[in-house]
This record gives sequence, structure tokens and C-alpha cells, in this order.
Amino acid sequence: MKTAFIMQKEIRESILTPKGFSWYVLTSVILSVLSYLFLTNSELSLLDQGQMLYMIMNFITALGILVGLVFGADAFAGEVERGTMEALFLSPVTKAEIAIGKLGAALTNWAIILAISLPYLFVVGKGGQNLLIGIAYVAILGTFLAIIFSAFSMGLSSRVKSVKNSLMVTFFIFLLAGAPIFLSAAQRRTWFGRILDFINPFACAINTFDSVVIDSQGLAYQAGRVAIICGYLLLSLWFLKRSVSRLEM
Amino acid sequence: MADYTSAFAASRITAAIDPPSIQANMGDKITYIGTITNHSDRAVNNVIAYISLANVTQGKESPMDLEDWSANKAIKVYTIPPHGTYKGQWPMRLIDSGSYVAYITVVDKNDNIPISSPMSRLKVKRVLRLNPNNVLPVAIGEPVFIGMVFMLIAFKRRKRVK
Repeated sequence: MKTAFIMQKEIRESILTPKGFSWYVLTSVILSVLSYLFLTNSELSLLDQGQMLYMIMNFITALGILVGLVFGADAFAGEVERGTMEALFLSPVTKAEIAIGKLGAALTNWAIILAISLPYLFVVGKGGQNLLIGIAYVAILGTFLAIIFSAFSMGLSSRVKSVKNSLMVTFFIFLLAGAPIFLSAAQRRTWFGRILDFINPFACAINTFDSVVIDSQGLAYQAGRVAIICGYLLLSLWFLKRSVSRLEM
Repeated sequence: MADYTSAFAASRITAAIDPPSIQANMGDKITYIGTITNHSDRAVNNVIAYISLANVTQGKESPMDLEDWSANKAIKVYTIPPHGTYKGQWPMRLIDSGSYVAYITVVDKNDNIPISSPMSRLKVKRVLRLNPNNVLPVAIGEPVFIGMVFMLIAFKRRKRVK
């Protein structure tokens, strides 16, 4: 299948390379430091297991988003700058198939990060509450967010056609989406903070993690936030489709 | 008429705390039992009882914020019958080492002075945790394993280029 061929090509060029794989080495080192810090620090080690699990879940999701944004920024702009876009267009693959193949490779990135994170989730959450359900939520919502941000970044990359500019915009988007982590709980409870939380898919995800892992609330309680994330999913895929359809040599 | 300047007001209520002293390790969970006794001939209604903790370690004397120690700081007691008692529980997680005193305070809006129990002495020993939750095999092993895969990929690539 042509999409699978594009996906394999992307995986070979971006993931199965020393430069690409170094992301995963860094990921595991950071997660090792965080896990050890959480579990041995004289104050943090006595945090509730649920809270530690929640914090690690947020970090893993943020990492998945970041990697998706960076990968997406290079997706089309990188091909243009390397002069390989023409060859890609001349091949018997449609633009949509190219986009899906590249998105598949971006998701493969996320899948590898999630696989690397699983042992850390188990060791941090061991003996605590809602470990398995928390892992299920991070896998599902993390995948949705990886698609959202990768698709958006790829769409932007196809419009901007410059890796540097694409990366700059995606980093600003990452800071904006990651704002909930930097703001205090009190700031997020203001009317403006609540609006930001409501329209931000990443905030929806971390509030869901909080609700499931710490407050043990069920799926019905998460319906609104999950619906918002699904809405963004459709929007980002539509944006990618529109952007790629306008792509020309 | 109530005498606001008096240091010792006759009160219908007394409070006690158990156990009178504890020695434990950091991370342990303990439970204080507070006993509120109504010595009067009338029922006592809507009293509030809460636990307080103060650090009495030499050089670190200060009141403690119980947010991380105890989820159950204040209890509202709806009624204690005449000459009856109420026993409340205050589970606590010992999150830092040192010497502390814990006591129960009871507030009755019909009295001018809150009633405190005698202090319970608490000694928490510091525990050094080198490998909590068996984190070390994962924290060290996984980066090493992924690093080895990384080196294998780099080696294969270099071989292909040659």
C-alpha cells in the first residue's frame, strides 16, 4: 500500500537514524530522573501515588505533543528545503496518501514514546490507585493529542514551506497549549483561566487525567472534555487535508 | 455573664488525645483518637474539633501546615449527649522527620475559650530511601537498553555507508 510505503520511508529516515533515535534516549533519561526524583525526594516521595502518576502522565503527554510538533514542522517544509518534494510529487502517490503516511510515522514516534514510558508509569504508580485506567487514558488521549498537534504542524509546514518558521510557530503553540502546566491552580480558576482551559485540548486532557487518577471519576464525567478533544481532532485533520491539497511544486 | 479576661473558663467540655506519645518513621501512617467529653447536664451541639501539629525540633520550632499530613483536619460534631463522649479519628501521614506535638482543639460557640487536649509527643525518624518502589532497575536499566539500541542503529548505519 502506498501510504504504508511513505510511512516506512519516513520511519527509516526520521526514527531509525542516530539523530532520530536520540530523542528516545533523552526521553528515557528524563523519565528516569523524574521518576527517581518523585520517589526518593523527602517531600515528593510522600506525595500520594495518584498525584505522582498524574504528574508523569502530564509529562509524557507533553513530550508526545512536542515530538509531534517538531516532526510535523519538518514534514513538508523539510522536503521543500532538501529538494525532495519534486521527487515525491512525481511518484505515483497522491498528496493525501503522502500526508497520511507522514502522520502514520508521527504516530509511530508517539507509540515508541508511550512504550518507553510504560515501565516508568508502572513503577511510579505501583500500589496506588487507578494505575491501569490512567495508562489507558494516557494511551488514548495522548494518541488523540499526538494526531491533533502533528496534523496541525504538518498542515502549517505545507503552507509555510520553511522549517525554521514552521518550528518557531509550533514552539509558540506548544507554549500556549502547555500554559496549564505553568499556571497556578488559582490562576486557572479565574474566568479567563477557565476559558483557556476549556478551549485548550491539552488542558482538557490533563484535567481528565486529574479527574480519573486522583478523583476516581468515571467516563461519563469526562464526556465533555473528550468531546472537545475529538472536535479538535477533526479540525486538525481537516486543516491538514486542506493545506496539503493546496501544496504545489 | 461571661468573663472575657479570665484565662481559665469553666467549660462543659474536655478534650483528650491518644496515644500520648508516638515514635515512627517518615512515610508511616498513624491515627490520633480525640475524645471529647461533655461534663454538663445538657447536650452539647455543633462543636468543631480539629487537630494541630507544631514542630518542636530544636531550631525549627514552627506550626505545621497539615495539608500534606492529614486530609481530615476538622470534624463537626452535631451532638454529644449529657455526660457523653465523642471519639474522633485523625489519620495522618508522617511526611517529614523531627519532633512534634499534636493536640486536639474543640470550639463550642457557647464558650469563650476553645478547649485543648494535652499534647501528644511525636518523634518521626528520617528514613533514607535509595530504591523506593524498586525504581532503580527501570531508572538505570531502560536508558541503558535504549542507548544500546541506539548504538546498534548507529553502527549498522555506519557499516551501510562504508
